[in-house]
Order: sequence, then structure tokens, then C-alpha cells
Amino acid sequence: MTSVLNRLVAGPPEPGHRLRVVRLDGEETVALPELWAMAGRVAAALADRGLRRGDRIGIVSRNCLEWLLLDLAALRLGLVTAGFEAGSVKPGRELAEDYDLRLVFTDEPGGEPGVLSIGEVRALAGGVSEPDLPPVTYGPGDVTTLKFTSGSTGRPKGLGATAGSIDSSLRAVQRMFAHGEGDDLFVFLPLSLLQQRYWVYSALVFGHDVTVGTYEAAFVALARTRPTVVMGVPAFFETAARQIRAKARTRPLAEAARAVFGDRIRYLWTGSAPASAAVLEFFGEAGLPLYEGYGLNETCIVTKNHPGAHRVGSVGKVLAGKEVLIDEHGVVSVRSDFPVNTAYAYAAPGESQRVFGADGVVRTGDLGRFDEDGFLYILGRADDVIVLDNAKKVVVRPIEEHLRTSHAIEECVVVSADRAHLVAVVSPAGEPDEAAIAAQLAATNAAFGRDEQIRKVVIARPFSVAGETLTSQFKPRRNRILELYRAEIVDNRGGIHAG
Amino acid sequence: MPGESRAGLEPAARESLALVLDEVAPQDIAVDHDLVREYGLTSLNKVLFLTDVCERTGVSVAHFTEQDLAAMRTLGDVVAALARHADLVAEGSTR
Repeated sequence: MTSVLNRLVAGPPEPGHRLRVVRLDGEETVALPELWAMAGRVAAALADRGLRRGDRIGIVSRNCLEWLLLDLAALRLGLVTAGFEAGSVKPGRELAEDYDLRLVFTDEPGGEPGVLSIGEVRALAGGVSEPDLPPVTYGPGDVTTLKFTSGSTGRPKGLGATAGSIDSSLRAVQRMFAHGEGDDLFVFLPLSLLQQRYWVYSALVFGHDVTVGTYEAAFVALARTRPTVVMGVPAFFETAARQIRAKARTRPLAEAARAVFGDRIRYLWTGSAPASAAVLEFFGEAGLPLYEGYGLNETCIVTKNHPGAHRVGSVGKVLAGKEVLIDEHGVVSVRSDFPVNTAYAYAAPGESQRVFGADGVVRTGDLGRFDEDGFLYILGRADDVIVLDNAKKVVVRPIEEHLRTSHAIEECVVVSADRAHLVAVVSPAGEPDEAAIAAQLAATNAAFGRDEQIRKVVIARPFSVAGETLTSQFKPRRNRILELYRAEIVDNRGGIHAG
Repeated sequence: MPGESRAGLEPAARESLALVLDEVAPQDIAVDHDLVREYGLTSLNKVLFLTDVCERTGVSVAHFTEQDLAAMRTLGDVVAALARHADLVAEGSTR
């Protein structure tokens, strides 16, 4: 089987397709052969700085052309990229030391040694030279990038992604969706998420257009750029559905949908979190099929609905190269012909052993079942992870544990009704002590990162089994609590607000 | 409306913002309240709000960068940002 990544680095792509980068204030277009050549010149410049195969570079930036040039240059040189979402970490010496980064590129102002402005990459890519780079080929177990997920300690867990897992996923996706001539895939989630870069690799190897936008420019650019495929998280499609409904007051639904997404959509792609049945059905009715799938950072894409095999409510059939194992308790584990990895590169002690079995099988913690035709249904997910509308995953359990260190808080859950803000619902210890709870809220927010900030606290009646807020094992019933206190959670006025 | 006068920007912005907020009337939106903290505006809805008010006022959304959007924290900030470009639109429309 030909490696997709090895095809990508072996030579320039066929002419005829392009990358478009869109921002709020404009866009630029680069033909794919030119993109490949620019990346080669960046690779040569990095080599001139002494970077060699296996060295790591960090990227802390919003989506931009330079991000992609660095990523492709790294592939051409055999470097390992470590992409961090803009604003999630401080691009400085400490980050470089923590993750063994030879250089860090960022779009944030700064200037510490070893930290470069990502804008400088444009100059490195200039000229017309075709540098003579040492040939690079990847074996299935070679790591090309580090991907990061929220950890239970607040520090992101780092996981090296193997070339074999990337190849395997790209091949399987291509078999299902046959991206090619006429396609333009629209990507706007952070490029620090490896899967968003897949579609650029796919464009270079399989021959199609790709548009990469900033998160902010997505809604502005969709109708104008007329993509054929849009990749988003469920919260994005929920917001888009509201937009379409509003426009459908004065025109037919399909026309309203085209007003938001353009008139060339072939399908919409979602994953990362469960999409509601209502949203899936809505897009079907609007003439824009929304295909849900399933996968974790640790497994890559495991199942996917697609035009040839689609069942609403399921997350699709299992991809070639993956095997889904469901134990007697209904818990899903995943075996891969080409695993993403067999352990975290950076994680708290015990985290790798908790997730990765000795045989390389990944324990997802999710509950699932197959129907008679082989479609997988996820019945419940690890309920302590909230996926925000910016695709950031927040593990709420450590935040809850921190809140519970207050004498005034007996129990609590952190939830999000709008997938944008976190709210803590607190079961007070005795008579509610609002001052103490407010002080704890401030202390907890100070201890956690940007995406882990709690916007406000709702004081609930004491959680109880009889009140349906605790299980028989006296664990809080997160979804039930969200349901019971939804009005207070979404009301911006009541409750105790963060200072 | 294209070439919106500065005085017309705030009502237009209130209308646009109310569309993406749940159960808040245009006239009840405080001009200096934080859109995220006080009104729970999500980042996607902030973009939709800006797009809508730009359409209403004839100010091109292309005048703004992602950094400009991040700096718009209140209704007043948005109106002030629009006003900087609405003046240009108004001047252009009278030529």
C-alpha cells in the first residue's frame, strides 16, 4: 500500500488545484504546486538553522498560510510539529523546554530567544529556488506530529501521531468520500488539531481544492467561497441551523441553507462530540447531508457515516484498518492496524496505562452497540468531557474537584448549556454561604486555563437520590442536573458570577 | 442601510445583537456591558452579530480583522468600530 505521506513528500502535486486562506479582512490563493515549492524553501531555511530529522518545532498561532507552510516544511524535512491552539499556552522558553522544541513560531507578540514570529516564515518561503532537500520517507511507526488533549491535571496530554495512522485514516476517508476534481474542502477549526491538516494533505495527494479559514471568518466566507465539504463540530452546525431557520422565514428551506453554506455542498462532516438527532435531521431536510463519525485523539477516525453507508443516529460503520471491541459492560475499545501510538508522550503518571492496553488497544470509556448491519451507536460518552463550540475539549472533573475543596460546597458539577461557557451547579454544604462560594469560584478560575473558566455558579437544592440529582452510588447525575437547572444555567443575570 | 449615519448605527447594532441573544429586547441591551460575561454571547454568535450589523449598515466586514473582533467587548465597542468605517461609507455615497 502506498503511503499517502510518502507520496506527499516525494514530489510536487499535479497542477490544477489550489489552497485558499480566508480571514475576516480578505483571502489569498496559492496553487498547490507553488505551496509545495514554498514549503520546500521553508524546509531549506530550517535546515540551514541546523534543524534535522526528528527535531521538534512548536507552532502557537491562529490559522494562516504560514502555519501550513511550517507543517509541510516539517514533513519535507522529517521534523516533528507540535501545534498548540492560539492563546492556550504562552509561547516562550518554558514551553520549548517542556516539550523539547528547538524553535517556536507564534503570531503573538513576544521575542524570547528561540521564539520566532510566524510572519517571518513568509520571507523564508519567498524566491524561486528549488532547494535540494535530503529525501525523506516515513515508516508506519515514525511520529510526524504531537497532538494535545486536555489532561486531568490541567496540563495538556501530548501524544505522538504515527505516519501509519495518518496514512490509514486518509486512505479510508478517500475510499468513502472520493474527494477529487471539483471538490473544495472548507476547514476552519484550529490547525493545531491534526485532522484539520489532513484535508490539506488530501488536496496535495488526491488532487482537489482546499480552503482554510480562521474560526471567525467561517460564517462570513462560506457562501462566498462555495465549498463542497465543510468540516465542523456539532455546536457549529447547531448555530448554522439556527441561522438557516431564521433565513427560511422568508424563503424555502433549501434556498436558506444555500444562503449560509453556498450552492455547491456535497456533504457536511462532523465529529468530536455527539450531534443531536434534531440537527442531523434538519440538515438532511435542508438538502445538506451531515455525516457523523466517531473517534478520539488516541484512535483517530474509527467509524464514519458516508454516502454509501449512512444511518442517522449511528456514528457509521467501522473504517478499514480499525476494529471496535465491545465488552460485556458495553464499553468500547478500539484496535488499529496502524495505531496512533501506544502511550502518551506527555501525561500524568498512570494516564497511558489507563487508556492504552498492553496490546495497543485503546479503551475509550464510551458505551456502544452495533446494529445488525454493522452501524455503531454510541450510547453514552465519558461524561466528564465537554466539547466547546471552538472544538476545545474541557475535562471538567479536576475543576469540580478544585471547587469541592471549599467548605461551603458539598458537591458540584460543571456543565455547559451553550457549548461556549462553563457553569458550575453547586450543592451547598448547609445554608448557602455565597461569599465563600464566590471566593472559591475566584480561586478555581485562577487555577485553571483560559478555556476552563467558570462563568458563574448556580446554587442548587442539595443533591439527593430522591431529587434525582444523585445516582444510587451517590454520584451526581450530570445530565439530569443540567436538565433540572437549565433555566438558571442559561439565565445570565442570576447566580454568583466570576469577578 | 448602506451609508448609515453614525446616529443610526446604534439602533441597527441593537437589532442585530438582539437577534442572536435569547430573550433580550434591543432597547434593553446596555451599551457598556460585556457581551460575553453579561449576555453570554458565544464567539460564533459574535461573528454572526457583526456580519448582520455590517449588512444592515453597509459597512464591509472586510474592514475588520480577527484581532479587531476580539477587542469588541461591548455594544459600545462595536458601534465605535462601525462608526470609524461608516463615516467613509457615508462620504463615499455623497460623492
